[in-house]
Amino acid sequence: MAVISYYTRSLLTNKSLWGWGVLFMGFWLVLGAYIFVQTGEIATAPAALAYTADWYGIIALFSLSSLSTSIAYSIYYASPALAYCFRYTKLRPITYLLNLLGSSSFLGVFLSLIMLGGTYALYSTRFGFNLRPSDIPAAVIFSALSGAFMLALSSFLVLVVNNYLGLRNVSFISFVPLLLSYVFGFGQLFTSLPTVLLYSSPMTAMIDLLYHFYSGYAPTVVLTNPSSATLDWRLMAASLTAWTLLLLLASGFLLGRIRPRSIEEARQA
Amino acid sequence: MLEIDDLSVTYRKGSDALKGVNLKLHKGKAVVVGPNGSGKTTLLRAALGLAPISRGRVRVFGIDVQSIRTDTRLATNVLEVYRLARLRVKDMISLYAELKGADPAQSLKMIDDFELGGTLSKWIYELSSGQQKLLGNILALSFEPRLCLLDEPFDQVDQSRRLRLAQLLRDFPGEVLLNTHEFGLLDRLGESALYFMIEGRLFGSFELSQLTRLYISRGEVAGALVTLDTSYGKFSVTLDRGEAAITTSTSLERLLEAVA
Repeated sequence: MAVISYYTRSLLTNKSLWGWGVLFMGFWLVLGAYIFVQTGEIATAPAALAYTADWYGIIALFSLSSLSTSIAYSIYYASPALAYCFRYTKLRPITYLLNLLGSSSFLGVFLSLIMLGGTYALYSTRFGFNLRPSDIPAAVIFSALSGAFMLALSSFLVLVVNNYLGLRNVSFISFVPLLLSYVFGFGQLFTSLPTVLLYSSPMTAMIDLLYHFYSGYAPTVVLTNPSSATLDWRLMAASLTAWTLLLLLASGFLLGRIRPRSIEEARQA
Repeated sequence: MLEIDDLSVTYRKGSDALKGVNLKLHKGKAVVVGPNGSGKTTLLRAALGLAPISRGRVRVFGIDVQSIRTDTRLATNVLEVYRLARLRVKDMISLYAELKGADPAQSLKMIDDFELGGTLSKWIYELSSGQQKLLGNILALSFEPRLCLLDEPFDQVDQSRRLRLAQLLRDFPGEVLLNTHEFGLLDRLGESALYFMIEGRLFGSFELSQLTRLYISRGEVAGALVTLDTSYGKFSVTLDRGEAAITTSTSLERLLEAVA
């Protein structure tokens, strides 16, 4: 189905995604490398690698949440088209969702690789060590899964609002993944969140998995404190996969009942 | 093919955009003429599954519009339904041709015929209103649908292309439900059923071929074909006699203003 290629191109040419998902994240990476750490504060290669992996995990998550916002807007602007297409073209809700899934996973990998390359170059230069990621293929796989999760979450939220609550809430809802990313991202970076919350939250799962496959170290409850308790990345992976599948199922159900909203209504809400 | 029974559409509480509309289209064309805001577009949107139906039902090819799925035989010029993603014109044609299981060649030929070749690489929002309307018409007509729903197909379109479009519609082999607020060009559409829509209510049908013989008068006239009951009074549509011939005005809106 060609939807995936058009949708991917549409996202790749989305200036907002480039601005917030790439350039603004580059700014955060610079802050992490040069502002949040003093010269000489990190003196060993393992410490530098762990610090770098912290930032990669968090920034990749922020970048992916920008993708989520773009996906949410594109779904709710397309609600009349979707309602029509499911009735009067060969497009089925499941086909559309799978196309979006493929597109989002591709964008997830694309954004994550940009962050990976940027983090590696910037932090290696800053700390004077070769801070090469420990497992790039696994990082790519979990970036794709993270992209899929962001699609599942944003489509679920926007479809609930579109179908049942009215468009006044869409602007706020589309930023919920971004807000959650910031809350959980900085939460785990500096504070000790309950272990059960860390395992059950897909946001922390994404950060920890990306951290783990960049650094090769087990993620810790407080990412900036290597002596805090460690977490099992397998449970994190299971949690993220379960959330993704659950939200995808719910989104597929809601998509089949999509309520067409006029574009004018969407613009004015 | 298209059956609309006792259809009411309510966008907000207490405000019916359509009130008990009945229409059957099994063969040929039907033209709905009415003032702006009378509910013509809502009627089409209901058939497309885009309007909130509060009462009655719409069946397309015998299936309720709420439950119809993946039936490619219906097409429309309502551009809103072609915004599945942010697309340039050429990509929009390719994508929808694929989704309709059709060959995009016919659409591209029509793009050439209507001298729109320069729009292919443009985004939809870069097109003029007339170009957008023509693109919608092309998307509606070129995928060989059996039933075509056209919302104001001549609106904002220049005269020479209006004539070409009218010819295209006359020769279109499938069924067409077309709405417009003006009488111009209707005589070029060939044999069609004619309806009037005022304040969400549908009146008719008449033979479009009788258009030049239809008159309108204030109040209720004995022997009238139909009485239009509006919030600003009653009007009677009569054959061969009356206060004003319908074709003396460019639109139903102006005609009602003239005789009111």
